Amino acid sequence: MDPKLAEVSQLFERFKAACAREDVDTCCNVLSKLKVLLTGFSSLPPLFEDTPNAIHELTLARDIYEHAVLLSVKIGDQDAFERDFFQLKPYYTDASSSRLPPSSQEYMILGLNLLRLLVQNRIAEFHTELELLSSTALENPCIKHAVELEQSFMEGAYNRVLSAKQTVPCKTYDYFMDLLAKTVRDEIAGCSEKAYGYLSVSDARQMLLFSSDNELLQYIKELLLPVLYESL
Amino acid sequence: MALRRKLKAQVLCAFLNFALSPGSEPHNRLAAHLPKEDEHEMEFDTATSVSQSPVKHPLPELEIYCYLLVLIYLIDQKKYSEAKACSSASVARLKNLNRRTVDVLASRLYFYYSLSYELTGDLAEIRGNLLALHRIATLRHDELGQETLLNLLLRNYLHYNLYDQAEKLRSKAPRFEAHSNQQFCRYLFYLGKIRTIQLEYTDAKESLLQAARKAPVAALGFRVQCNKWAIIVRLLLGEIPERTVFMQKGMENALRPYFELTNAVRIGDLELFKSVAEKFSTTFSSDRTHNLIVRLRHNVIRTGLRNISISYSRISLADVAKKLRLDTANPVADAESIVAKAIRDGAIDATIDHANGWMVSKETGDIYSTNEPQIAFNSRIAFCLNMHNDAVRALRFPPNSHKEKESAEKRRERQQQEQELAKHIAEEDDDEF
Repeated sequence: MDPKLAEVSQLFERFKAACAREDVDTCCNVLSKLKVLLTGFSSLPPLFEDTPNAIHELTLARDIYEHAVLLSVKIGDQDAFERDFFQLKPYYTDASSSRLPPSSQEYMILGLNLLRLLVQNRIAEFHTELELLSSTALENPCIKHAVELEQSFMEGAYNRVLSAKQTVPCKTYDYFMDLLAKTVRDEIAGCSEKAYGYLSVSDARQMLLFSSDNELLQYIKELLLPVLYESL
Repeated sequence: MALRRKLKAQVLCAFLNFALSPGSEPHNRLAAHLPKEDEHEMEFDTATSVSQSPVKHPLPELEIYCYLLVLIYLIDQKKYSEAKACSSASVARLKNLNRRTVDVLASRLYFYYSLSYELTGDLAEIRGNLLALHRIATLRHDELGQETLLNLLLRNYLHYNLYDQAEKLRSKAPRFEAHSNQQFCRYLFYLGKIRTIQLEYTDAKESLLQAARKAPVAALGFRVQCNKWAIIVRLLLGEIPERTVFMQKGMENALRPYFELTNAVRIGDLELFKSVAEKFSTTFSSDRTHNLIVRLRHNVIRTGLRNISISYSRISLADVAKKLRLDTANPVADAESIVAKAIRDGAIDATIDHANGWMVSKETGDIYSTNEPQIAFNSRIAFCLNMHNDAVRALRFPPNSHKEKESAEKRRERQQQEQELAKHIAEEDDDEF
């Protein structure tokens, strides 16, 4: 086997082991080394040359980027997610049509990206990404979950959004679901302010899905703080 | 267009022999694309013409025109792969020519080049070529070519749903006054499509309606597409298009699914909306409007809610859920959240009583006792006054730089006349008194 390829594969094994151990620092270091080594291959985008090891190299590179994406979710770094996802995208669109077999994690990562755009309120980009998906992709549960979430968010059925937290297709979605829950809570609070003349504390607690009255009072204090400052 | 129907292989051969000297390289290349049945005719022709005329030096424009005719003939005969080969050859030839007089023909050639690839499903192959051609056209200040190639590139990206890249290209490409009405219409249509997907419905509506209006009457298919997208954008904006839009001549059948869709949105019935969407799902998928229709669900619910809020002064949330036909796991809670959001967005005027579980609509009251009419009048008067000011500013007076200065004689005459007139009027007044 090609010596460069062998070196990259070895390093990748170490990376996977570090991920399994939840050793974030080693993961990041090894990942940067891997990315530098990947620039040595000419069969990767944007060159897409037809070297003898092309398929092997492409599959390996794709796996590396997929793991990078999942790592960024674990650390909670949205910028790194975006960067790694953009590097991963050509592997799904251009390379897959010609040579590579489809990846098992493709739909999960696509769904993760859609969720991220939703959380960051970039709805226009959400819809643009959606247009790129074929109808078979839309049937996949990971992607369907994100699409239905967006619909419920737009319609205003926020309780559906909060309850969808229980029905995530995979564990990696939890990070974004928590962020989404925060946004949704702010929305519900805003709507309730206009819509209800009177709401009991227990009902409010139920609607906002807090587990205790104290949390609710804390949340209200945070909301009212800017109002208090303005009136001063 | 009448010429197009008369194009047949023999006619083309004769023209090629006339325009380009037979035996020359361009002639051979072009003749190779024509069907072989006419070979004996061509031989006969070569025999006669060689004896007759000396070697002609064809103008490049003539050569390009021949390419164009052959290409149109091949596409009409549905020989798409040959058309592809012919068009690639012509584009290669065009890259070497740098004459402004060829521009108009060149832009037609680019269009057919893209068309032949599209008909064989290989559009992605030529994207690089089109980009290079666009660069060359910009360098040579070939504005018509730039316009045509930009439209072809946008069409290429939109064919594969690459809205992001299309927008990036469109925003960075140099813009100028449109030279060709047809190209401008196409550009507006593509722009409208991109804006719709990016959720900028107001801009999209403007572009699409303008494209539909400017399009020539003969371009029925194009106008139908423009109208389809315009209808959906208007529905997404919350306004219902009038019935006359669907009854335009020649478009009734094509717009039928959209007509039924508009009906469902207007009534606010979710069940009807779902059934219509399913019934015509093939049409919508082929028009690529399927995702947009899914977005309409939200509008249907809003309209239904608005109708309910107007009709009932107080209604329980369970009944609201039933009327809206929300078919989810927990309809009452969903209905509550949806109503709360609608109230916040200002779509309906009501309050929710959570303890009793019902929605109470606010009284509409007497609008004339508020300041509302005054504000509405004010805005209209301001608009009319602005228009009046603009019109006055735009008035043009005839140039009076040629007015002669009055000579002294004429001035004395004039003054005399004025004095007589004044005396006359004074006498009249005296008479009256």
